[in-house]
Amino acid sequence: MATMATPEVVAEKRDLAGINSNYEEKFGFHDSESDYAYKAPKGLSREIVESISDYKDEPAWMREFRLKALEHFYSRPTPSWGGNLAQIDFDNIHYFVRASAKNSRDWSEVPEDIKNTFDRLGIPEAERKFLSGVGAQYESEVVYHQVNEKLEAQGVIFTDMDTALREHEDLVREYWATIIPANDNKLAALNSAVWSGGSFVYVPAGVKVEMPLQAYFRINTENMGQFERTLIICEEGADVHYIEGCTAPVYSSDSLHSAVVEIVAKKSSRVRYTTVQNWSPNVFNLVTKRAVAHEKATMEWVDCNLGSKLTMKYPSIYLMGPEAHGEILSIAFAGAGQHQDAGGKIIHAAPRTSSSIFSKSISKDGGRATYRGLMEIADGATESRSKVVCDALLLDEDSRSDTYPTIRIDENDADVGHEATVSKIGDEQLFYLQSRGLSEEEASKMIVNGFIEPVTKELPMEYAVELNRLIELQMEGSIG
Amino acid sequence: MRLVEHEGRKIGVFNCEGTLYAIEDRCSHDNGPLAEGEFNPATCTVECPRHGSLFDLSTGRPKTLPAFTPVQTFPIAIEDDTITLEVD
Repeated sequence: MATMATPEVVAEKRDLAGINSNYEEKFGFHDSESDYAYKAPKGLSREIVESISDYKDEPAWMREFRLKALEHFYSRPTPSWGGNLAQIDFDNIHYFVRASAKNSRDWSEVPEDIKNTFDRLGIPEAERKFLSGVGAQYESEVVYHQVNEKLEAQGVIFTDMDTALREHEDLVREYWATIIPANDNKLAALNSAVWSGGSFVYVPAGVKVEMPLQAYFRINTENMGQFERTLIICEEGADVHYIEGCTAPVYSSDSLHSAVVEIVAKKSSRVRYTTVQNWSPNVFNLVTKRAVAHEKATMEWVDCNLGSKLTMKYPSIYLMGPEAHGEILSIAFAGAGQHQDAGGKIIHAAPRTSSSIFSKSISKDGGRATYRGLMEIADGATESRSKVVCDALLLDEDSRSDTYPTIRIDENDADVGHEATVSKIGDEQLFYLQSRGLSEEEASKMIVNGFIEPVTKELPMEYAVELNRLIELQMEGSIG
Repeated sequence: MRLVEHEGRKIGVFNCEGTLYAIEDRCSHDNGPLAEGEFNPATCTVECPRHGSLFDLSTGRPKTLPAFTPVQTFPIAIEDDTITLEVD
């Protein structure tokens, strides 16, 4: 059936064609490393950990924390559940790479190559248009950081973690590893031993940060390990939205990204943490994210996983105060050679707490998407309620979807719902849309975009558009 | 630290710079053997060796996640050279 294309459709198609240059062109390029300040040799050892601490001139307690964490990493077995972690060669990773000798608050001072990279990724433009602050991490360290002056005057701190440790040591130490101890799991132990970079956010009581803060994480080196550490403290009645994005060059051998993110949402505060993860298909993405929400606080994770070879990430929320609320919105898109093992955990530990987990996964070209989640209503969390919904869309016969939901309820008056669906794009849906003048490919894209719409509508406009385009890009060639 | 057993129940007795505390040898998160964890007499805490939760020995309360509920504590009486635990 011939269809007439409207000017909007033509423009959209041209736009998409631009983005549809493959990942390698758009995000997968890499810069020269000739001007790097330091690149640690491959492999992990006590000496490497000590040298990272020396380079950063850290206080003794942090050095001890790292070395103890390294022992935990060595002593714990590699998890045998989830994805295939046996593929990771921990001796073939650079654990610390310093691209630039300084962290700047002025883009013009950032080294030329690095600045060009972030320009290509649109970071300075985004900062000008719709952000309250930006951090840009390149390899192991943050090379640029800036926050709106008005927010600074209100006492908001948004800086990289290395600077925070130097300038706000007492505040960092008070909360450090209280949400995710070094020995929480093997990858958290690794991060704790070799962490570098990441963001530190402190929002004083009552301050509402109107526009989002954003951090962008870029890997450039082959066989790179990026281990940023982020800590967000939102005081009583405060409000903040933090967004992170990430990309890396396409290489034939693997890199490792293993972050730790800790969040404290105090009484009646609200924290939203949005991730648009678009690592190249040679990156293992193994991240531990956990938040605690106190009385009447709201914590929201919006977690979009598009890239990487293997992602294992289950953002969690501990609802510790009465009437605290938690939400996890998760999208996973698994294409050829990808395994997205994602989900979320919510623990109700106080009365009248409420939560929801909405997970959407799409698998195509033999990709595998897994939902793995925990919803727990602990003894004493009376009158709590929760809803878990996981929907999976399979686009072809070769792809795979698994669901591992765990629900534990230790209270009699809890109100808990669980729904799960697995579906394919229906012939009737395609027929109907094609009868309205769309091609089969356009119809499929529209169905996929409709499928993830509950999540994209929660993103700021610019990110929703970008996410839709990334998914359309992944969808190219999926028909016929 | 001294591990004692009463009717099948294991209890760790810790000496925090002269003051004794007794807690159940079972982490409230994942049943980890608390008494085998790292004991800090100065802060009067013990770290669960399984997932790293730090417990205040005087109250049994966790100071860090992933544990979020207290472990049981037991009153201690010292008379002459005898230490007695009150176990319900």
